[in-house]
Amino acid sequence: MRRYLKAALGIVALFAIGLVLYFAFSAAYGDGLERTMEEAGVGEQPSVYNAPLAYGDDYLTALVAGLVGAGITFGAVYGYLRIVRRRKGSENDRNEAP
Amino acid sequence: MHIPDGLMSPEFVALGWIVALAVITLSVARMNRRVDDRVIPFMAILAAGIFVAQMINFPVWGGTTGHLVGAALATVLLGPYAAVIVISVILIIQCFVFGDGGLTALGLNIMNMAVVGCFVSWGAFRLFSPKHERNGAIVAAWASVFVAALVTALELALSYDLSGGTYGIIGTLSIPLMLGYHALIGVGEAIITGGIFIYLAKVAPEILKMRVATKEAPS
Repeated sequence: MRRYLKAALGIVALFAIGLVLYFAFSAAYGDGLERTMEEAGVGEQPSVYNAPLAYGDDYLTALVAGLVGAGITFGAVYGYLRIVRRRKGSENDRNEAP
Repeated sequence: MHIPDGLMSPEFVALGWIVALAVITLSVARMNRRVDDRVIPFMAILAAGIFVAQMINFPVWGGTTGHLVGAALATVLLGPYAAVIVISVILIIQCFVFGDGGLTALGLNIMNMAVVGCFVSWGAFRLFSPKHERNGAIVAAWASVFVAALVTALELALSYDLSGGTYGIIGTLSIPLMLGYHALIGVGEAIITGGIFIYLAKVAPEILKMRVATKEAPS
């Protein structure tokens, strides 16, 4: 488990450094699909759903948003797999019972 | 490559949901039978890492940027079914929590990035022998981005044709632009995926056996 804690800290450190580079070189530009839409003169339509959070336009907001998102993602995958594992465990117990 | 609301025609929006739900159901069924205690924290950490990596766009060319999709990385480390689940969870959280990608287009985004991305990665990766799997990870990463971009470009072109120009982008623009940009973005994906794969092979080779341990990869 200590290894995964180290990995998590490594990911946070890389993210913090990567965000500096992102805001220095990329934040002002769109990705491949956005550029394709721009060059084709296709504007973005209004969204049908308003999300509670945004990635943010400055370093600190984006850092917090990334950490919150990573935490939710970790929790969702971990929680889901733990539930599956527990159910599988109890199924095995039932199957093994005489 | 996150498709927003209102870009694709309703037929493709519906197709995206059908394919996404069918493949997620299959992947969950395959994965659930094989969940292993060792793989749980690894899958969760990998998902969190791909989430933050997707936020960091890198410049490619002519004022265009790209970001890691992570489908190939998840696939070469976990196998395609677990990878579909990981990438789908990320896309669902990006959509519902951060509004990244349209809600109506979520099915298409899952189809393009999770389903196409992971299974193209797996197909490309399996072309290489275990001895050359590092090269396999690099090729899989580039191919996953390029083919996902091709599929998205075709969806844009066919949406345009089906709707008489109301939705999508004409194929003479969507196909060369999407493929041109993503051929370069794929190089970034290949460098990052290959770098992480080679690093893990060196410092934690047992991690690369996770996809064997979960046994959810087709033989």
